[in-house]
Amino acid sequence: KMATYQIRRSVLAMQHLTRCFNQNVFRRITEVPLFSAAEKIQSRGFRQGERTNTSAVEGISVGTQEYVQPPNPEKPCPICRWNLKHKYSYEDVLLLSQFIRSDGGMLPRRVTGLCAEEHYKISACVKMAQRTGLLPDHKPKLPEGHVPKSKPVLNRYLTRWSIDSVKPILKKGLKWCKVPMPVGDPCLKNNIRYTLKPLYTKH
Amino acid sequence: MSSFTKSAQQWATFARSWYLIDARMQPPGKIATMCSVRLQGKHKPIYHATSDCGDHVVVMNTRHIAFSGNKWEQKVYSSHTGYPGGFKQVTAAQLHQKDPKAIVKLAIYGMLPRNLLRRTMMQRLHLFPDDDLPEDILCNLAEELPQPRKIPRKLSEYTQEERDAFPMIWVPPEDFRMK
Repeated sequence: KMATYQIRRSVLAMQHLTRCFNQNVFRRITEVPLFSAAEKIQSRGFRQGERTNTSAVEGISVGTQEYVQPPNPEKPCPICRWNLKHKYSYEDVLLLSQFIRSDGGMLPRRVTGLCAEEHYKISACVKMAQRTGLLPDHKPKLPEGHVPKSKPVLNRYLTRWSIDSVKPILKKGLKWCKVPMPVGDPCLKNNIRYTLKPLYTKH
Repeated sequence: MSSFTKSAQQWATFARSWYLIDARMQPPGKIATMCSVRLQGKHKPIYHATSDCGDHVVVMNTRHIAFSGNKWEQKVYSSHTGYPGGFKQVTAAQLHQKDPKAIVKLAIYGMLPRNLLRRTMMQRLHLFPDDDLPEDILCNLAEELPQPRKIPRKLSEYTQEERDAFPMIWVPPEDFRMK
């Protein structure tokens, strides 16, 4: 009974420590596993005043970056704050990776603080980047023991639609009514272009 | 102009040179325009349609070509065998699986002028699915052309310093936990 009480206390202490840890640390640091200390504690070898085989985890605040002030701090959404409104694309992986989880899913708007249209644009860019293969470490976890079949790798970029949902265009149509093949995303049509060539989304 | 002999100048203007293009992660259409320009000889000031001034072009890594959009699934290559019921339609992905050189070959064939010289120009085109080229072609190569599309970097290819130099765009709220 004494042993279980001690384990519970140490587990609660661990939880408190990890909570402090998470508050102080930015997202990029991986989570401390919650029950590692509990697994290491031996319930039999527990003595009062002496703790054997315990591992104490300290919650140290490791700040990898000091927080830099954005150029426009008063704006509501982070992209307007950093003046990136029409300036990013599917290739800017360093920006896009800040808004996704480790399994590739987008973070909710109420957490990131993005406005609706920017959230949509970023999710479209993230999908295009994932289909291009620019985010190789942000893939969903496969169930254990699952060996994926070797599929032929086809390189692609600026894919708007998901790969399995698209059907082949068997009848392309006559010259005045051709069925186009969409490229890129129309929500990015207002991006700044430094060339005179217009942006073609219908190929 | 005066530093080399007339014979050297003659060789330099009229010799047929060999160009190399790497098609890795490039759209096949852009590769095909570059190839067709050089196969016809339109990149030379001495160009004339009847004067057979085209050069040789070697395209490597045609297996690693990249289509924009969903063209791998949507683009259809059609052909007819001539027999009834012989209309065949294949998607770009299926055609690439069967023959990795076919997409680039068909793209270049469609961009050359529709005359009898087209077949001779296609004979001067050399396609290789991977980057192992035979020795006799390697000896002939004069110049490698720059790739038309800039290949974007994957997240794993950025160094840790570059990732740290990029600022945090948003700060997570205090009670937020990442899964």
